[in-house]
Parts: sequence; structure tokens; C-alpha cells
Amino acid sequence: MTAQPPRSPARRSRLTLTVAVAAALALTACGQRPSETRASEVDKPIVIGISLPLTGDFAQPGSEAKRGYEIWRDMVNAKGGVLGRQVQLKIVDDASNQDTVVADYTKLITQDKVDLLLGTFSSLLNYPASAVAEKNRMVFVEPAGGAPDMFSRGFKYLFFAQPATAPRQADVFVNYIKSLPEAERPKTAAYPSQDDPFALPVIKSMQTQLEALGVKTVYSEVYPADTTNFQSVASTLASRKPDLVAQGAVFEDGVGMVRSLKQLGFSPKMLFQTSAPSNSSQYSDGVGLANTEGVFYTVSWNEKATTPLNAEFVAAYRKAHNAAPAEDAADAFAAAQVLQAAVEAVGAIDQDKIKDWLHANTVQTLLGPLSWKENGEPKGSFLLAQWQGGKVEVVGPPELATSKTVVNPKPGWK
Amino acid sequence: MAHFVQAIALGLLIGGVYALMASGLTLIFGVMRIINVAQGAFLVLVAMVTWWLWNRTGIDPIVASVVTTPMMFGFGWLSYRLLIARIRGSSPSMSVLLTFGFALVIEGVLNLTAGNKFKSAAPSYFEESFRVGAISLPKAQVFGFAAAAGVLAVLYYVLHRTWTGRAIRAATQNPSGAALVGVSAAGTGALAFAIGSATAGVGGSILSVLYPFFPASHYEWISRLLGIVVLGGLGSLPGAVTGAAILGLAETLTATYGSLGWSTLVFYLVIMAVLLVRPQGLFGARLREDAA
Repeated sequence: MTAQPPRSPARRSRLTLTVAVAAALALTACGQRPSETRASEVDKPIVIGISLPLTGDFAQPGSEAKRGYEIWRDMVNAKGGVLGRQVQLKIVDDASNQDTVVADYTKLITQDKVDLLLGTFSSLLNYPASAVAEKNRMVFVEPAGGAPDMFSRGFKYLFFAQPATAPRQADVFVNYIKSLPEAERPKTAAYPSQDDPFALPVIKSMQTQLEALGVKTVYSEVYPADTTNFQSVASTLASRKPDLVAQGAVFEDGVGMVRSLKQLGFSPKMLFQTSAPSNSSQYSDGVGLANTEGVFYTVSWNEKATTPLNAEFVAAYRKAHNAAPAEDAADAFAAAQVLQAAVEAVGAIDQDKIKDWLHANTVQTLLGPLSWKENGEPKGSFLLAQWQGGKVEVVGPPELATSKTVVNPKPGWK
Repeated sequence: MAHFVQAIALGLLIGGVYALMASGLTLIFGVMRIINVAQGAFLVLVAMVTWWLWNRTGIDPIVASVVTTPMMFGFGWLSYRLLIARIRGSSPSMSVLLTFGFALVIEGVLNLTAGNKFKSAAPSYFEESFRVGAISLPKAQVFGFAAAAGVLAVLYYVLHRTWTGRAIRAATQNPSGAALVGVSAAGTGALAFAIGSATAGVGGSILSVLYPFFPASHYEWISRLLGIVVLGGLGSLPGAVTGAAILGLAETLTATYGSLGWSTLVFYLVIMAVLLVRPQGLFGARLREDAA
């Protein structure tokens, strides 16, 4: 219908300019490489290649991971680096896109020839990224990506630097319930969960384990991510009165559930939510601080934990960003600690030796001790946290608890 | 029985709020054939401003709509003059592109200024309920429903009983006829867009209390609002109200008696079924150009 307008001279010259600039940039890049390689092995910094979602869907956690990596780099460099060499991070943005993350790691390995790799954020991105690393026989320690599919591929160079994968995250809560005298255990339970790779496996596994303990399931439903109204669920729960409500809650669904339960006048004796309560003030602002009392959740890291370098990490984060550190930053820091420990133990940058060492040893990190199965799946356990008096305390496992008291049963809504 | 009445009551309360949020969208489409994809972003923008006012001054979020409604009226009027007026007369798909771009800009600005974090206003009554026998009526939803009913009544009155409203409706039904009798197309366009945007003033205030939100929440809302408006008939205010009530009831009844997982899906199944029988939606009028 409408004719294509002829290309204007202005547009043609703009195109030419773009091509010229691109060519110039490419040439500059080529020009830099020889001078880099000329430096002697020892003075040369160790370059670690990382792609992170700094824009797009995962921009928020991706930026936290970047902070975690950078705090680690600054701390390590201040103490003389790794193997006597300074550490340099080469961080590129994958825009939360699977194709871009593959291109990024391919470029980091084949063109930039980085010495080491660290992982990106989320299972979605680490899944293809780890395949690139595996193909190039590079060790790939990743801070966030615990979906079961990650570990079904038999990769040898992949290591997940958190204490447990999604289906195992609820174990610490089940263990707590097992530790209770028979009479104090919940008799009935309800399991609403968002259809989310980090929420649903946690709740499904908890349901199976609790049913084996004799806890009767009175409600079990999966809902899509765009569900916003929880009052009808709350109304159903209010009529079935389960002792335990265990919700696979990402965030806003967790807040929505607490608000709705209170509106419908039902307070369960125990309330567990997967990740919503870990969002500190966002969560307490959303549900009201008084209503957080006694809420359980599991988490990979806690600010108060007395694990190696945790206090230093928390202080450095607060100083640099003037905010409470986020779990995603701590997880990235831990991934870097893992890589550092292996490189220092091996005494060289040798991917195969690093891989073998990690399979054979346990690394102490700010998340606690980490060790791995052959497929890169971690063997540890999450922390059981609980809101107490407006703050978060670790209540399990017992040896890592920051508080000896556990609020049970949960008090009614305030 | 009480369980059933509870589900119906909740569904209608939620539906009232949805109706208010969708009213601006259907009004703007009715007058200008512009699909304002930025309406969801307008709601989130107001929710953010409301949250900020509430957080700083403690002013009640629903009362704050006294401030945000004129603000959105001005914002809508300016947006029309500066942006929308330039694509008048182009196909509706142009308006989708333009307003989608506008929504992305609002989202980006909110990300930079307010941060990519969830917020929700929590006035003293946010989690309290009125009790009628065994039935709980959440206060926030009751207030939201009341505000929505008030705004919709005013909107209906303006459209049907004032000269301005009649001019807007005339421009909806027959633009060239309206122009012939002296209704300025540009003037009514700006006015309708401003009024449509102003409904986001109350809608966004209620949103800030009822649902946690963050800058990208607008995608979720616009898809729901478009669904309501398509079901009711694009451009029809009674259609939007009916569509919203159906959505509210479909959500709560499915969640109560069926499965929670189906509660959002059932509404879209209803839309498909209705559109098979009535392609113009429940209350939509067939336009002459549609028949051709």
C-alpha cells in the first residue's frame, strides 16, 4: 500500500558512519591484545570471565551478584591476590538472555582467553552457560542455579556453590519437625505453591516427607505466577484449619497470602513460606512487622552466621553500598571463595586439577561448608530461619543456630 | 452455603476494583480508537506516587486519590497533546506501538527513581475485615469497591448528562457527524484521554493497598484489563463493569470450588467462548467499518 521511502542521503551516511565506528572499535580491540600478552606471567593479573544479567528480567539479582564478586575481588587483592597475582574480573552483560549468555562465555573463553570462569545468575542462564564451559573443559562454579535439570547432564566441570538444590531445601524444616515431640507436631497441613522452579520442588518434597511422617494433607494446589487474589484460598484454608500452612511463595504471593489469611481471620499454628520472608524489609513492610512473628523459611545465607569471612563480607558490603547485603551477593561471594580455595590448593591454574580437587574436598565458605557429588550437585543443607521479634534468626540446623528459642506455635495475627 | 456467599462477595468486591481500572481503557478506546497499553503503567505510576505520599506523610492511600486524580488528568492531557495527537487518524496498531513505548518509558523511569523493589501501602485497615455473620469483607476491598462505584457513577453521569460527555459520546459514535455539528475532535480527544488517565488516580491508589507492586507489574495488569475490555466490548463502560464482575467471580469461584491453578485461566476461556458467539464482546456495538 504505502511505498517504501527511498533511503535518504542522511540515513545512508549514518549507516556508513556506524560501519566505520564498528570497524574502528574492532581494530582498536585487535591492537590491544599483543600488548597484554607481552607482560610476563607473574605480573599479569588473573582474569576471571563472568557474564551476568545486569539488564532485563534478572537485573536486580544479577546486579547483586556483581556486587558480591566485586567485594570478593577487592578483599582478595587487598591481601595480595591469588597465587601472588592480582585478580581482575571481566564482567559482561547478558541482558537475561540465553543466547547472549552463550555468546558471552564463548567469547570470554575463545577470544578473551580468560584464566578462570565464574557463573551467571539463575538456572535459566547457567544451564546453557555451563554447557559452554563443559565443552571447553573450564571449571564453572555458579552461585545461583539449583534447578534439578542442571545436574542431570553428568557434567564434570560444574559446581553449584549453594548448600542444596531446590528439592533438598526443605529438609532442614522437616528435620526440625521430626525433632519435635509427637504431640507438638502438626497433624494436618496445606500446601499452596506457585508454579516456580524454586518454590514448587521445595514444597512438593516437603509434602512427600511430611506425609511419610503421618502429617495429613488437607489442601494442595499449584497456582500460576500471575495469581494476585488469595482471599478465596484463605477462605478455603480457614474452613479446613490446617495446623501447618507451607506455601511455595516467591514474593508478592507470600505477602498476598498472609494479608488474606488475616483478613479471613485464620492464623495457622505454623506458617512456612519458601523465599518471600527472606526479602527482609520488603516482606515486613508488606505483611506488617507484627505479623512476621514465627514465620519460617529456608535460606542459603544469613547475615549473622559465624562462617568464614561472613562478618568481613557484611561490613564491606555495608560500607560500599550503604545497605543490608542481599543473599544473591553472598552467594556470588561464596562461588568466588570456592574457586579461590581450589586454585590456591592446586597452586596453579589447571582446570582439570581444580575440578578434581573440588570433587575430593570440602570448602569453607560464608554459606558454611560446601562439597559436591560427581554431577556438581551440593551435598549440604540450607539454614532454617524464623522471624522473631521483628528480626530474622537462624533456628536450624542446631549447630548453626543463632537463636536457641523457636517460636512454636506461631502467635495469632496482631 | 456461607462458603459460597463468601466467594461471591469476594468476587464482586474484586470485580468492582477491576471495573474501575478498566474504565479508563475502554473510554479512551471508545472515543479515539486508541488502545492505551500504557494504562497499566499509569496505574503503577499512581500506585508508586501514592505509596510515596503514604510513606512520607502517612496520608491515607485512598484519600490520596484527591491529589493523584487531578495529577493524572493533567498528565493524560499533556500526554495526548505531546504524543498521542501525532498519531491521530493512523491505524489502532500505531497506538499500540506508541503507548507500549510510553509504558516502557514509565517503567524505566520508575525503575531508576523508585528502584526495582516490591512496595505495598499498609494503612491501619489493610488487613482488617468487616464481619457480616460468617462472611468476612476485607476493609481495603470494601473501600476500594466504594471508591470504584463512586468514580464509575461520576463517569457515567458526565458521559450521559453533560454537554462535554455528550460531545465525547458523539465523537465515539460518529466522528465526522460530531465534527459537522461543531465538536472539536482534538479537544474531545484530549479530554477523553485526560479523563481516562484520571481514572487511574483512584485505581492506582487502590492497587497500592491491595496488591504488592513494582515497576514491571504493569504487564500483568494491562493483560487483565485488556481481557476485561475485550469481553465487555471495546468502548463500552457497562461492558467493562460486566467484564470485570465476570473476571472477579470467575477467579474466586474457580479458586474456591475448582483449582487455584485454573482461576486465572478460566476467565480467558470465558472470553474465547463469548467471542465465538459475539465477536464484538458482550456490550460492544458493531461499527459500520466492521461490517464492511
